[in-house]
This record gives sequence, C-alpha cells and structure tokens, in this order.
Amino acid sequence: MNRNSNTYTVIFAAVMVIVVAAVLAFTALSLRPIQAKNVEIEKKSQILRSINISSSQKDAEGLYDKYIVESFVVNATGEKVQGNAFTIEPKNEISKPEASRELPVFVADVDGSKKYILPMYGAGLWGPIWGYIAVDENGDTVYGAVFDHQGETAGLGAEITKAKFADQFQGKNLFHDGQFVSVAVLKSGQKVAGQDAVDAVSGGTITSEGVSNMLFDCLKPYQNFLKSLK
Amino acid sequence: MLSEKNKEIFLGPISKNNPVIVQVLGICSALAVTAQMMPALVMSLSLTAVLAFANVIISLMRNIIPNRIRIIVQLVVVAALVIIVDQVLKAFAFEVSKQLSVFVGLIITNCILMGRLEAFALGNKPWPSFLDGIGNGIGYSVILLIIAFFREFFGSGTVFGIQVIPDAFYEWGYANNGLFILPPMALIVAGCIIWIHRIKNPDMQE
Amino acid sequence: MEYLNLFVKSIFIDNMVFAYFLGMCSYLAVSKNVKTAFGLGLAVTFVLTVTLPVNYLLETKILRAGALTWLSEDFANVDLSFLSFIMFIAVIAAMVQIVEMVVEKFTPALYASLGIFLPLIAVNCAILGGSLFMQQRDFGNIGLASIYGFGSGIGWLLAIIGIAAIREKISYSDIPKPLKGLGITFIITGLMGIAFMSFLGIKL
Repeated sequence: MNRNSNTYTVIFAAVMVIVVAAVLAFTALSLRPIQAKNVEIEKKSQILRSINISSSQKDAEGLYDKYIVESFVVNATGEKVQGNAFTIEPKNEISKPEASRELPVFVADVDGSKKYILPMYGAGLWGPIWGYIAVDENGDTVYGAVFDHQGETAGLGAEITKAKFADQFQGKNLFHDGQFVSVAVLKSGQKVAGQDAVDAVSGGTITSEGVSNMLFDCLKPYQNFLKSLK
Repeated sequence: MLSEKNKEIFLGPISKNNPVIVQVLGICSALAVTAQMMPALVMSLSLTAVLAFANVIISLMRNIIPNRIRIIVQLVVVAALVIIVDQVLKAFAFEVSKQLSVFVGLIITNCILMGRLEAFALGNKPWPSFLDGIGNGIGYSVILLIIAFFREFFGSGTVFGIQVIPDAFYEWGYANNGLFILPPMALIVAGCIIWIHRIKNPDMQE
Repeated sequence: MEYLNLFVKSIFIDNMVFAYFLGMCSYLAVSKNVKTAFGLGLAVTFVLTVTLPVNYLLETKILRAGALTWLSEDFANVDLSFLSFIMFIAVIAAMVQIVEMVVEKFTPALYASLGIFLPLIAVNCAILGGSLFMQQRDFGNIGLASIYGFGSGIGWLLAIIGIAAIREKISYSDIPKPLKGLGITFIITGLMGIAFMSFLGIKL
C-alpha cells in the first residue's frame, strides 16, 4: 500500500491512537490504587510529624491509627458539623468566606493528653505551601508544627520543611490576652509586642512571610473552636 | 554483539559527541533539576529509559510510518512513554516524583529525543538505535550528575543528601555558598564544563 | 490588579529562561542575531498565548478529576489527568503547524531564516512548560491562564533578544578560544539570570 496516500495515513493514525490509548489507560488504571495510597500515607505521616512522631512509608498507617483517636469537622463558630475530616482539602476551603468553610480537626492522644491538629494551606514564593499545627488541650499553646511546599527554592525557602524551623513553634501561644494573634515569623532577633514569634529561614524572606500569613489566615477561623477548649 | 560500528554509536555520545555540551540538545529540563544529586539521577534514568525505548519503537516502525505525520507520530510515542514513566514514578518513587514535578513531563520536549529519533532511529535498525539511545542517555546523565555534584557539594555541603563537609569546617567559619543552589549557577557550571571539554578537544573550538 | 501582578511576575520573576531554563535549545541556537531572534520570540509568544487558554479549557472541562460533570453527573469519578501530557502536546503541535503555514505565506524571508526551528517550536520546552505550570498552579479562570501565557512569551522574547544583542556585541571580544561561542553564552545567560533575580518578591 502506498505510504503517502491519505487512506494509509488516516488508518495509521487511527490504529496508533487506539493502541496508545489502550496502553495508557491500562497503566494508569493499574497503578492508580498505589498512587492514591502514597498520597494518603504522605498525609498521615505529615499529620504524625506535627505531634513529633516520625514515621516511614511502612509504619505510617499503623502509627496513625494508634495516635489519632478522632477526627471531626467544625465551622467558624466552633460547632461540630457533618463531614469527613480526612478527605476535606484545605486548598478548596481557603477560597470560601470564613463562615462557610469546613474546618477539619484531627485529635491525637499523646501519653494521655489530647492534641488538636489543624491543617493549613497558603502561598509561598513559587507555589503553594501547606502544613499542620498541633495545639495543646488548652487551645492556646502550640505542641508541634510541620510544613511542606511544592517548589520553594531548595536550600533557602525550602528549609521550612526542616525540623530546625518547625520545632521553633513548640511552646508558642496563639492567643494573647484572650485575643487570637497567631505566631509571627520574623527575621531573627526581631520582636513584636503582644505576639509570640519565631525566626524566619535565612534567605527565604518571602516563603517565611507566606508561612506567617498562612498561620494567621488558616487558624483564625478556628479561633472560636480553640476558645471553646479552654 | 558489539561490532566496531556499534561501539562507536554507543561510546560516541558519552564524550566526543555529547548531546548536551556538543550538540547543545536537551539543556532545557536538564539544568532545572540539578540542585541536588538525587533528582538529577532519577531524571537521568527516566530520560535514558524513554530515549532507548522511543528509539527502538520508532526504529521498528520506521518502514510503516507515513512521512507526512512522522513528527506527530514521534511525539505521540514519546508522550506515551513519558506518561508511563510519570505514572510509575508516582507509584513507586513518590518522594522523587514530587521533587521533579513538571520536569518529568518536559522530557517530552527534550530536544535530545526528537533529535535522536529524527536523525538516527528513522534510518537505522532497532539494535543500533537502542545503543544510540542508551549512549546518548548516558552522555546526558554524565553532564547532569557533574553539575548536580558541584551544586549540591558547594551549595548544601552534601552529596546525595549525606553531609560530606565535616562540622568542624563550619565551626571554623566555612559557610555553604547559597548562590550554587540558585538556578543561574547551573548555567555557569555548564559553561565551565564546556570550557574544559573544549580545551581537551581543540577541534571543537569555534 | 491580579492580572497585572501575574503578567509582571511571569515576565520578570518566573522568567521561562532564567528561572526554569525552558526553551534553551532554540534560545542558544537562534540567538546569533537580533532580527531572527525577534522573529522566533514573536512566534513563541503567539503560540504560548494561544495554547494556554485552549489547554486550560481542556484541563478544566475534560481532563481533571470530576471535570466532566458538565456533561453528566455520572462522570464525577472520571479522572483523565494521566492523558494531559499527550493532549497538551497535540494542541501545541497543531498550533505550531498553523503558525508555520501563516509565516510561510506572509513572510517567506523570516520563514527561511528560522529554518528548522519553526517546526521545532512544537518541542520548545517553554511552551509545554507553560501548559504544565498552568496545570500545576491551578489558575482561577481562563483570563489568568491567557495572561500567564502571554507574559511568559514576552519574558522569553525579552531573554532571547537580550542574549542575541549581547552575542552580536561580543563577537569581536577577546574571549579564551575554548570558551568562545557556546561556553560564554551559557555563562552570560547565568549572569543575566542573577540580574533577573533582583526582581524577586516584587508585588503590585
């Protein structure tokens, strides 16, 4: 058959499209469960890191089941509402007005005392940043925090994922004189009155600012819930 | 198995005819993933795999591809292979696939691929095409890893994430050079590699 | 305001060449004189501006998980995102074909000087990169996606004209022989990238 004829070209293209589509659909479908599992395990392991428990790909699920005793959804007035905390994407909630947001809460039991873990989502320099913050039973003191990012500059902004940065949050207070003020991220040495602060990562000014804004914006809707814990 | 000619096909691209620094192909995605060794290594492996298989597939089909749509056919084959690689990485090397993000997808437009398919696979048998793919893949990998080594070593004091500069150095006042982590430094390191390569191969000087 | 911010950001801060090294192949090969560089830059800008909105619609209306719900509620669980690479590249290849025909018809001189690099725009990483970044950054509407495409194109155009002008100037400079040509071009691009980094963090 003539290789340059129209019929040949069309038949060739059609056959190729079918073959390629079949191969790709097969690969995607057969690998999807493993990929979904990876995403889930990663989320669980990050939640665990916010209460200072490191886990590996293998034991994350077991540890999660052991420590996270409860999870629920609250609204901006602090009341519990219907919903599955694990499947809510903070990314989608952040664009809604505060009053209609669904706010997931994960409750961990660490040596008999309860920690409340709240997810956060915000913008860094190049792309999104997100994290989890664990708050003590009094709804005020930070027990631990963990941050992650998509594409911050390696070695500069990306340092927010390191324990050195995240561990600074431990023991800081979110409230001052009954007012929600969040925790500020400032250049090392600086202080602001009436607010607890941690040191920014050096060379990652904009990422640090992003963390600071994310803490305030994402925790503010929780303030009624946190107050109700006291 | 490896005749004189095949040996040349295989070894040529590693130094003398290196795809990156001699033919100036495939620099696009190469430099963005070289801030650390690990992503650079995975990127190299992915590209080598895609290149070798794409070469073989196109070479097998070289007598039945209609000439008019050959570019599209090549793109589709490459894109399909890249999607498979991307899916496999997401399933079995999740951490690394997060670091590589869009750059896995950009393998599709890596000029090495189109260059080799067009220049070699369309006119040669599958076995030499396979060797050509592996050879060019290795040539690409070598450059990538050299750049990544320098950037990670000077920028973070680590190699493959393991600290190699002892703590004592830092106590004496040594500091990591943050400039090496920033993207422009990759270009400057690549420029220096070309410089050295051309001192050794004077016939390539312009 | 959001549009202007994104526009400026995509030209100067997230510059395709200096921040992500995208489109380097043609950037290095076609930057020997300003005129050709300008022509190629325009073509790239055009293709980027056209493909991004098209790919945005593809992504949000067809490929993304749950994107097909506008057809029928039954499709809420369909996730075709694994096809995105192949769909994007197909759209780009088709657009490039159109640009090629237009350029050949109306400016044969430019067509001749761009030579092989015109069809190769299809595999210019900057263009596929634009679509992939669009997918990753999840723009809110089609306007933002178009502005991003246009801005990225202008950024690329700026970079290639800049390097072409510098290369014209340095062609008589006394550069060590092995460094001449390709080597020095790399290093200059690096230095330009460092200069562009001073725009970091600008917000409008």
